[in-house]
Amino acid sequence: MDAVFKALSDPTRRGLLDELFRLDGQTLSELERGLPMTRFGVMKHLRVLEEAGLVTTRRRGREKLHFLNPVPIRLVHDRWVSKYAEPWAAGLSELKHDLEEE
Amino acid sequence: MAKVFEIYIKTTPERLWEAITDTESRRRYSFGVGVASDWTPHSTYEATHAESGLAISTGENLEVDPPRRLVQSFTALWSDDVKSEGTSRVTWEIEPVGDSCRLLVIHDELNEDANAELYGGWPMILSGLKTLLETGESLTTPGSLRYSKGFDAQKV
Repeated sequence: MDAVFKALSDPTRRGLLDELFRLDGQTLSELERGLPMTRFGVMKHLRVLEEAGLVTTRRRGREKLHFLNPVPIRLVHDRWVSKYAEPWAAGLSELKHDLEEE
Repeated sequence: MAKVFEIYIKTTPERLWEAITDTESRRRYSFGVGVASDWTPHSTYEATHAESGLAISTGENLEVDPPRRLVQSFTALWSDDVKSEGTSRVTWEIEPVGDSCRLLVIHDELNEDANAELYGGWPMILSGLKTLLETGESLTTPGSLRYSKGFDAQKV
């Protein structure tokens, strides 16, 4: 779980996850296009995300596609939220969601 | 469109396969939904919410290779909205890694703008599967409790 928190502690990496949330299954070149960063920099951040399990890759022919894997975030949620703050956190995040939808 | 879900679970491939294909085990971590099939290649399966009897999904077991690989067609049945999405595909891949298994669930052949209800439940299901295999307990989070009370309460 340390790897998940470490990976999420960086705004560029959170941005990469947001980008994959918007459009899943992108190649390195596609991800690089949307970021003011070198190819090497994007690779480095992707490697941290992969090591944390937040990004998984699949091959399609010669291409390597990157997918957002939301499971580790769910595990963090189930490990912490359900243990300490279950009804309150669920209620508050639903309230926040409902208010922001309006 | 494809969605990929990955989780590591401390268990053997055989126990993991059993938890995926046994109706009662499945019900314990899948919002109360059990899956029945004879698990032979090209057999069909039916997923049903145990308490209400509501049909949740159905499909064909396209590839059955225990305890490593299961490929299923997937037609969601729990609402008119998801029914209109047609048929997609779910692949389960189990790979032993040391004393654990890496489980990949690939939900693909989805429509480009597929309803997120179709694949949005996987993280909760896989988290519950991990808890069940590693502790023998059912995971009780607000989400899993809400779903287990019945599928009509499932407005998210």
